[in-house]
Amino acid sequence: MKNKTFQSLTNPLAKNNPVLVQILGICSALAVTTQLKPALVMGLSVMAVCAFSNLVLSLLRNGIPDRIRIIVQLVVIAALVTIVNDILKAYVYDVSKQLSVYVGLIITNCIIMGRVEAFALSNKPLPSLLDGIGNGIGYGGVLVIIAFFRELLGSGTLFGYQIIPECFYEAGYVNNGLMLFPPSALIIVGIVIWVHRTANKDLQEK
Amino acid sequence: MSKKQFLGGKNSSAYIVFYSTVMVVIVAVMLAFTSLSLKEKQNANILDEKKNAIVASLGLEKGSYDANIEAYVVNNEGVKIETTNTPLDMLFDLAASYAAGEYPVFEDKNTGALVFPVTGKGLWDDIWGYIALENDLNTIKGVVFDHAGETPGLGAEIATPKYQAQFPGQTIYEGDQLVGIYVVKGGAQGAAHSVDAVTGGTKTSEGLQNMIIDCLGCYDNYIKAAKAAKEEVVLTENAE
Repeated sequence: MKNKTFQSLTNPLAKNNPVLVQILGICSALAVTTQLKPALVMGLSVMAVCAFSNLVLSLLRNGIPDRIRIIVQLVVIAALVTIVNDILKAYVYDVSKQLSVYVGLIITNCIIMGRVEAFALSNKPLPSLLDGIGNGIGYGGVLVIIAFFRELLGSGTLFGYQIIPECFYEAGYVNNGLMLFPPSALIIVGIVIWVHRTANKDLQEK
Repeated sequence: MSKKQFLGGKNSSAYIVFYSTVMVVIVAVMLAFTSLSLKEKQNANILDEKKNAIVASLGLEKGSYDANIEAYVVNNEGVKIETTNTPLDMLFDLAASYAAGEYPVFEDKNTGALVFPVTGKGLWDDIWGYIALENDLNTIKGVVFDHAGETPGLGAEIATPKYQAQFPGQTIYEGDQLVGIYVVKGGAQGAAHSVDAVTGGTKTSEGLQNMIIDCLGCYDNYIKAAKAAKEEVVLTENAE
């Protein structure tokens, strides 16, 4: 039992990663990954919303009327996202401006409702909380990987600090402009999925 | 039916109505509480952003507002007036201040350059900005524009430094007549008082042009008075 609880945290990190295996939340993965900092903040925001929505709805699961189940889920998720948005605006204003509409759009992120519907409503609060955190990290981790390559190759920086030395540019090195556009995120997601499936043979279809 | 259930069980209409009512009230209280407790901090961030936009239009460094800027309010006749709201407070609802006939002005204490906040409508939502004039009160020193909800890649381009770089050096007066800046579709090609429109952002461009002429029009009398005052200073200096 202990082991099973723990698995709800670790499974979404690799074997059942929401982005790489379930291919959910791709849209925001394209939008906020030109730099590491917004990607990290977005990942943390999604993790917070996913964890707490799972926890709250798991606690409520026995009292929720079936007929308005989805509405209750949406109200809880939307309220959490609004709170996260307010906190971001108060404490990391510049990042919240960069993330703009995508914070609000966490409400529609399929990962969150998917986890509530598939897991939280039929499991106890603790595993649900861990499942939410796990999926949040699984999503955020992929975002950070994509943003790492996009910022490094597209701007030559990481977290805004210059990484590629000036002498490279003098020798004729140029930043890859494609990395700053959304298609590059798709290409990187594709490569990461490829690597992931090669490493996990059991994910491959026969 | 061994036990009597609350409001007739989980799936009765009475229970559903009760459940949703309680839920909505709890959520509303929670959201109102977070919003109120964080409002002050959020407004401080927005104020900082506005201060930085004002100094950016003057080409000064971020965070140098308090050291460099003196703010005051003028009325339609171009006379400085006392108001209950501070000029910075007015930026939070500039349209209301305009409607009340109160126009905030921001002056660079070191150079005497003036910054005029402007506000208008784009295609979807509000657009606003800051226009800094050189000491001749005719040539634009720099501009900063921002928007609430223009289309990214199209109308939203007015907020990019690349677009705003067209403005410095343009003049807003033709003789004594305020003409503003024409935002020309298809390219200004160096014509006087003109900049290029945003490609694919026709309505936003129109909004920008209207905003500039309408808002600077409110300051027309003040600009003329300030100009006359500056010329007088030059004359007296020459006489001495």
